[in-house]
Amino acid sequence: MNTNHQARTRHLQAEELETLAIPGDHRLPARSSAHVADCERCRRDVEELQTLHALLQALAPLQPVVGFSDRVMQHVRLPLPWRVRVLQAVRKHQLATAAAFAGAAAAVGVGLTWIARYPELTPMTIAAFLVQRFTAFVWSGVMEVGRFVYGSGVLETAQGIAGQVTPVSAFVAVATVTLIGLASFRILLSLMEIDPALVTSHLRLRRRVRG
Amino acid sequence: MTGQTDQQRGYRAVSYKEHSDKDLVRLCLKSDERAARELVERFERPVFSLVYRMVRDRELAEDLTQEVFVRTFNNLQRYDRSYKFSSWLFKIAYNLTVDYLRKKQVKTISMHGSPDAVTPERQEATSLSLESDEESPDAMVEARELAGYLEDAIAQLRPEYRTAILLRHVEGRPYEEISDIMGVPLGTVKTYIFRARRELRDLLEDRWDEGDEE
Repeated sequence: MNTNHQARTRHLQAEELETLAIPGDHRLPARSSAHVADCERCRRDVEELQTLHALLQALAPLQPVVGFSDRVMQHVRLPLPWRVRVLQAVRKHQLATAAAFAGAAAAVGVGLTWIARYPELTPMTIAAFLVQRFTAFVWSGVMEVGRFVYGSGVLETAQGIAGQVTPVSAFVAVATVTLIGLASFRILLSLMEIDPALVTSHLRLRRRVRG
Repeated sequence: MTGQTDQQRGYRAVSYKEHSDKDLVRLCLKSDERAARELVERFERPVFSLVYRMVRDRELAEDLTQEVFVRTFNNLQRYDRSYKFSSWLFKIAYNLTVDYLRKKQVKTISMHGSPDAVTPERQEATSLSLESDEESPDAMVEARELAGYLEDAIAQLRPEYRTAILLRHVEGRPYEEISDIMGVPLGTVKTYIFRARRELRDLLEDRWDEGDEE
């Protein structure tokens, strides 16, 4: 009852005025529409917005000159598929491409000749060798990182802190950090003159549009 | 044989018109020139209208609009498909035009032509052409006059306000899309539109009061 009374007596917000003035999919609650019937100020605001919207809608449609799209298309360069780009590059740099191919062919030839000198080298033994070297490389990297962490004393410091932290102090710390974060965000919004409710509705709409 | 080719052409033309913007972008990425042309024809009017009302010079607006499309197609691979293509296109148009206005320090231009127009021909080339469906000459003159006042009033707004109100009331774009196009928060867009309406109301006060009296 009280809410209904408030809705009927308070003046309409900008968005509500727009909903009434500009035809669209949105509809206002009946009590807001009823308010306009009673309130001279809101009725005048709606009429003004309707007039302005009608005037702007009636502005002459502007068209570029005839044949504008032809003119634009003469300057447009569409992205080419990679195969076409490669072919174009090959055509453009024929000498360099030929040299690169010759170099690659020579390298493969030398490699095959070297392998042919060792009959015990089969594709399987080569693959096994490569896998073994790669694994050893990765493992040595992991060991180096471990040695660095242990040597820097980070683990001991963390263990020392963990020994002193109780569940209550952890909760207080997390809550304090969260509150400071939220307060900073609110201050930032107020400095930028943004209504926090708009941020949440904006995020919701963005999710809906993206979804 | 010729008839069959024409039929094929007709079929293809219809099918391109029916494609969504995103489908046309996908085709453009495969170097389909017809898809690019369809996108240009679909958006040349709204983009040109926005740019024209920002710079108020037909030749310049056409050059800027052309540049908008060229940049759009050059950067098509960077287009994020989670956004509407029209938002991205308008964003490029807005950034390009605002950059131009900042560099040239253009503030307000009368509907009667650019202040740089020194000859009558140049004034004619830069002035707005107003159209009206009214048949009566008096009504036509009155409509032209009112539209002229409105165009002048729009031209006096800050570029940000002008873009926001044109996108909202002339192009009918929703607030969220305007926020994406202008790269400002939703609250700022609402403020721009609110202030733009108030300034237009103030600028048109005399005409408004005359209308009320009638």
